[in-house]
Formats: sequence, structure tokens, C-alpha cells
Amino acid sequence: MDVFFNLILAILEEGFIYGIMAVGVYITYRVLDFPDLSVDGTFPMGACLTAVLISHGMNPWLACLCAFFAGTIAGGVTGFLHVKLHITDLLSGILVMTALWSVNLATIMGGKATITIFNSNTIFNSGLAMLLPNAAAQFRVVILAAAVCLLIKYLTDAYLRTRSGLLLRAAGDNAQYVISLGKDPGSMKILGLMIGNGCTALSGSILAQQAGSANVASGTGMVVMALASVIIGTTVFRKAKFMRATSAVVCGAILYKACLAGAMQMGLDTNYLKLLMAVIFTIALVGNQITLGRRKKQHVDPTKI
Amino acid sequence: MKKNLLKKVSAFVMAAFLATAATGCGSSSSSTGASSSAASGKKTIGVIQFATHPSLDNCYEGFKDGLAEGGFKEGENLTIDFQNAQGETANADMIAKSLAAKNYDMIGAIATPAALSAYGATKNAGTPVVFTAVNDPVGAQLVNSLDNPGTSCTGSSDVLPLEAQVKMIRAFLPNAKKIGVLYTTSEPNSISMLEKFKGVAANEGFEVVEQGVTNSSEVASGATALAAKGVDCFNNFTDNNVVNNLSSELQAAKKAGIPVFGSEVEQVKNGCLASQSIDYVALGKQTGLMAAKILKGEAKASDLPVYTVEDATPVYNETVLQEMGLSLPSEYQTAEKVTSAK
Amino acid sequence: MSIQQKSEPLVRMEHIAKVFHPDEVNEVALFQDFNLTIREGSFVSVVGSNGSGKTTILNLLCGSIPVDSGKIFVRDREITKLSEYAHSRFIGRVFQDPAKGTCPQLTILENMALADQKGKPYGLAHGVNRKRVDAYRGQLELLKLGLEDKLEVTVGSLSGGQRQALALLIATMTPIDLLILDEHTAALDPRSSETVMELTKRVVKEKHLTALMVTHNLRFAVRYGDRLLMMHRGKIVLDHEGAQKSALEVRDLTDRFNEISIEDGN
Repeated sequence: MDVFFNLILAILEEGFIYGIMAVGVYITYRVLDFPDLSVDGTFPMGACLTAVLISHGMNPWLACLCAFFAGTIAGGVTGFLHVKLHITDLLSGILVMTALWSVNLATIMGGKATITIFNSNTIFNSGLAMLLPNAAAQFRVVILAAAVCLLIKYLTDAYLRTRSGLLLRAAGDNAQYVISLGKDPGSMKILGLMIGNGCTALSGSILAQQAGSANVASGTGMVVMALASVIIGTTVFRKAKFMRATSAVVCGAILYKACLAGAMQMGLDTNYLKLLMAVIFTIALVGNQITLGRRKKQHVDPTKI
Repeated sequence: MKKNLLKKVSAFVMAAFLATAATGCGSSSSSTGASSSAASGKKTIGVIQFATHPSLDNCYEGFKDGLAEGGFKEGENLTIDFQNAQGETANADMIAKSLAAKNYDMIGAIATPAALSAYGATKNAGTPVVFTAVNDPVGAQLVNSLDNPGTSCTGSSDVLPLEAQVKMIRAFLPNAKKIGVLYTTSEPNSISMLEKFKGVAANEGFEVVEQGVTNSSEVASGATALAAKGVDCFNNFTDNNVVNNLSSELQAAKKAGIPVFGSEVEQVKNGCLASQSIDYVALGKQTGLMAAKILKGEAKASDLPVYTVEDATPVYNETVLQEMGLSLPSEYQTAEKVTSAK
Repeated sequence: MSIQQKSEPLVRMEHIAKVFHPDEVNEVALFQDFNLTIREGSFVSVVGSNGSGKTTILNLLCGSIPVDSGKIFVRDREITKLSEYAHSRFIGRVFQDPAKGTCPQLTILENMALADQKGKPYGLAHGVNRKRVDAYRGQLELLKLGLEDKLEVTVGSLSGGQRQALALLIATMTPIDLLILDEHTAALDPRSSETVMELTKRVVKEKHLTALMVTHNLRFAVRYGDRLLMMHRGKIVLDHEGAQKSALEVRDLTDRFNEISIEDGN
């Protein structure tokens, strides 16, 4: 069925692109236990910055890198607010998200709310993408998106196995332990936030190139999307020993998109889309608690999601 | 390992979708009929309307009329898959991708954000996109030029008659000095209109004071803040967010005792004082006619020039006029008159 | 007081003042001019009633709370103003709560690999050095708890006693100047407490550590260590070393407690 095939393709395309952000949010939310709301601001920042750079002729892959670095800076600010100024994690993220609205609109976009890059070179219509045979043209996006996503995933996995990565995991697990090692857990948190937001901005960058335009408002609700992907992924694939958590969250992103797309195909009124998202998220959260039983963490905080 | 992962993922998703596909294919036979429509003459199109407000609603009505006049009546030889994005770009993207996957004969898009989403989703497939109520198709890169689109898009553009509007404001309020403009910062049309408007307004001796808002919840406070800046009246553009929340804006203006000039007849019916109104129904109808031509195969989207509306009809609200204690200027004695619904 | 061996003073706390909740209703001027010297190689037990200041000494030494005035020296280097994690570079600490000394979601191997790197940079080299696994196993065998076969088990699934033994090992894995034991058997059942205390004695002896142990358990205080301090209201009211300490019995301590209480008018 032609329609079915198109649908799967679209789901995989989007799933892999958002999967990049899911890996980033996995680091901040699952590893560091930091609910980072700034992704609502860093996602469009990546998109807008990339659109501006590409429309001025920059190499699209370079633009992706720039977006990643912009994201790391934003993440660093969130970390600074939390670690050095002792602002709570939720509020730090909210502050950065709010500030980024203006930064994105006024500074990056120069006052324009939307920038279209239909006629510019993106990673999907130039350079590396042209190496693929013409017959595979319709698979260009999914192959490239999957490639970038998996690259980020492998880099993250490799990092978490290094000494620094292990220390990062320890910082999220038991900050006192990191202190006993003579290291500052705050610095690890800042590092984790930088990586997480870098991935998010990269995800926004690639989505803008796929959609052909960037809009300052494209970040609204991204934190829900990312958290849902992480939670769905880690819940559904909990028993799968062969799968690392990073793979699980990418699959979570794909599954989440699949649910939404499936619902729309079945004729769901777009008015109910947000309700559906909330329902899926709730099911994932409840499922998470049920399969987990008592959480491994010693001190269960009822206010934590 | 990458192939392994892809395989597992695809397998999982495929399995999850067998049921969906079964029900989906079964219930909406019309969507699968799209690929065989060329032979039967029946067409299926998708339509994305960006938001629900009167101008865009009028566009859609006109669009259907135009299609009917061009030979495609809904229900007979035309099926329309209509979706509303509720004013959110993310929704528009999702809808566009969903429609694109269904391989319709054409996608109709009402308002710029919907057009951008539709084009982005169908660019590679080449499905014709017919847009309406798009202010600046060239700036949005939907077409290469108005006369010769050169892309898979064409449609109609609703550039506002700014000079006529400013003249109208001067006629109604001969002593006014400042015009307030409430606009949404994430709507590109509004921003480009604002710049043009400042220049045009200066010619009639007006200063333009602007107030940007970011979402629907800010319209009320934005309007109040704007009124407090000492403006003599408000002027609306085709800003989806502001027009969607017209009542909040009108309330704030009423409290300050100043009139609101709308951009379209429906706004005037709802309480704006007057407007140089573009007939959105007519605009939609023209677009529908163009769409019909493309569906019949008489023309290609890349060759059909973009239709830009020429005339504006002045319209005023009698009830509001009297409430404000104003008198009707002589040049608009023959203008279309409406009264507020009681 | 007869001193068995003359060794260098390792830790010096000089003229420490510490006030809790200053300017409030519950203000407590705990230390006014507190002084303490610990010699290298010494194993000091500290007992005292609640609020006597014994835990505060630990916290001040570890840097988790700041002094109001005074100086603290470790090996003639002043550490008064350093941050808590800077203190940790040469001070090891085992907490009362077994959860604090290890990372529950990491495996034993990962915990030890992290501890092994203490004092060295945490860069992008491989987190767990496979060549060191045998060394880790050797260390775990000393604990005699069978943990050497459980390297890949996550620490969260171990019992309190096992976690505390591991925490002790981790705290002493890399060279430290001072080992602080913060009521580290208080949360364990009696059998685990015995095991961990024996372990503590062995580790301190084998690694020639200087140790400071706070405990509520008078039996342990008497049995372990070569010096005993009893604190009351921020002052040292008993300080026995060497032979005098060995001669102490639990009854002596409880008698002294009662004396103090009577003096206090309780």
C-alpha cells in the first residue's frame, strides 16, 4: 500500500530527527535527573540559526555544527543558573527558554518570525546527499537522518563509557560520591546540560532543513515530546537487554511519532491531538511505574516525575 | 549494527501498524482511490486551513465555490480531506505530512504557515499546492515570481490595500495622530506588513505605534498596553492570532474609547469600525477556479500566475459608528454598511 | 599521659569557633575556642551525647560546614577555606547512610574504577581499565564478603553491610591523609556492624591510615582505636591515649556520662 509506505517513511524520518533530541534529553533527564525545560528554546534556536546561516550560503553541515555549539552554550547557561546561582532546575530551564524566545526572534532571525530555505542547500539536497543514487532519492532524508541520529547515539554511548562519562553518571546517581572523589558534581551537571542541549539544537537544525523553513515558535511543546520519547523508550524496552538506553529512547521517539501519525491517519480530529499526546504520555508514565516497581533510587521524591 | 537496529525498529512499527492499516484502508476507500482517479475523473484533495477565523473561513467557502464552478463538486466528483491546524505551526507540519503521505491529487493551503508546511511536505513528490491568503508568496519562497511560479505551488495573494486603509482612517478621524498596531511576533506576514504600513501611514501624517505579542493569551494585555500608549485608534492586519482573539482587542479598545479598524468585512461585523476589505470569498473563488484548471490537467501549477487581489471594498459598522459618536465621511456615503449582531 | 610513639601531628584544629543559628531563638555557640591535634597513625574514637559536637568536628574537617573563625591544618597545609570536594582529595569519609558512599545504579566494577581515578584527571580514556580488574578483585577478596564474584552487579542490589564495606574500601583505595568514619555502623544490623568494624580495623592497620571515628556504640569505642575522646557541649571532657585507653571499660564511660549529666543538673 502506497499510503502505508509513505506513512512509515515519514514516521521514520521524523522519529530519527527527534531521536537526536531524545538522546540529549536522556542525558539530562535520566542520567543527571534534571528536568530541562530549556529544550523548548534550544530546539528552535538550532532551527533558526541553521536557517539563517544556510540562507546566507553556509555549508549546511557546518551550519549543523554551529547549531550544536549554540545549543551547548544555552545548556551551559542553564547549568550556570542552577549550579552557581542555586536556582532550581525547573526554573533554570524556564528562564533560559523564556530568554531564548527573544534571542531567537530578535538576534538570530533579525525580527522575522519565519525563514524559508526551500531554495537553499541543505544536507538533504546537496553535498553528501547527492552521493546516493537517484533511484533512492525518496530515501535520502530517512537515510541521512538515521545516519546522524545513530552517529550521535554511538558518540553518546562511547562517551558514557569514558572516565568523564562515568563521572557524569555518578553525578546524577549520587552527587556526594562525586564530592568524595574530589570532583565538583556541579561541573558535571553543567557539562551534561551542554551536551543535552547541543543535541537538541542539532535536532532542530536538521528538522528545519527537512521541513524547508524555521519558525521561532517551533519549540513549543518540545520538552513534552522529548520526555515522552525518553519515558516511552525506557519503559517499553526495559526488558530488552540487548538494547542500550540510548537506542531505546530513539525507538521511543519513533514510537511516539508513530502513535500520533497513526491517530491522524485513522481520522482523529486535530483538535484532539494535544489530548492524545497527554494520554500517551500518561500511559507511558504509569507503565514506567508499574514495570519498575520500587525505584532503585534510595530516596524516592514524590514530587519528581 | 545500524542495519540490525533499523530492522528491529521497522519490524516493531510495521507490526504495530498492521491493525491501523487494516482499519484505515478499509474505512476510507476514497483515499486509496486517489491513485486510480485519473481514469475515473474523481479527484481527492487535502486542504489545510491554518486557523479558524472569519477571513480564512470565507476563503475556504470561496475555494469550494470556485472548484464547483470549475467542474468539481464536493461529494460528486470531488472528495476534500479538510484539516484545521488550530493556529499552530507544529500542527500544520504534522497535517501536511499526513496529507502528503496519502498521495492526494492536490493540496490546498489557506494562510502562509499552512502553505509553507504543505510545500515543505510535498516538494519532493511534486504534488501541486494551491495556496490562498498568502501575503508574500515570493518572499516565502513558495514561487519564484508572481507571474511565473516555476514551482509546484501557485495560488492567490492577499496583499492588504494599505494606502486605501490609511486614507480611510484619516477620513474617519481627521485629527488623529497615532495609529496603534497589535501584531504577533511569530507571524511573518504581520512583520512585513508593519514595515510597509509605517511608510504609508507617514504619508498621511500618522505615527505608527506597535505592540508585539507572542501568543493568544497576551492579546488582551497587549491591547491594553497599546491603548495606554495614547494611540487614537487600532489597525489590524491579517494577523491570525490577533484576529482569532478579536474580542479581547475590541474590549481593550472600547475601554480606552478608541475605534479599531479591521482588515476584512467579518471583523467589521464583529465590532470593528470600518475596513478596506478584501473580499476573501472572491479571493477563495479565484483560487478554486485555478485549482480546478490544474485538476483537469489544463494547466500546471508552475505556469499559472499568482492571482493578486486588486480591489478593496470599504465597509463600515453603523452601530459602532454611532457608539463612538462619529460621523460618516462623505467619500464613504456609498460604502457597504453593516450593523453589529445584537 | 604516656605516648607510645612520637609521630607528627597530622591534623590540627586551632581556636575553632562555631555558632549555629546565629541571632535566632535557638542559637547555639557550640565551639568557642576548640583545639584538637591528631597525630599521624592515630585511630581516634569520639563519643558523646547528641549535640556534643562530635559530628560537627567531622563536618568541619570535611568542609561540609564552614568555621566561623579558627584554622584547620592537615600536614601543615591550611584547609579552612577549601570547598568540600577539595577536602575530599586527601580526606576519605564513610557515612552513616550506606547509600551515600557508593553509586547505586553503577556496578561494583564501575564504582571501583571511578574511585581508582581519584586524584587523576577524568578524561576521555576508557572508564573501566580492564587491566586493573584483577587488582580490584584482589581488594574485594580482602573483605571476605564474596563481592569479588559480583563485579558486574549494580551496587543498589547489595545489602547495607556489603555496601558499607565497599564504601570503606572505596574511601581508602587511593592514598589519603585522614579517614573519617561518621557513625558508619549505626545503620547496620549487629552482625554487619561487627563485620564492618573488624574490616575497618584491618584496613586502617594495613594501609597505615590515620582515622577519626565517631560512634554511639561505646563497646566499639573502647575496643577499637588507640585514643578516645568524649565530647560534651563542644568541649573535650575525656581524652585517653595508649595504655590508659586500653585500660578503659564501657563502665568507665557510662560513669563519666552520668557524672556530666549530674553536673549539668539533668
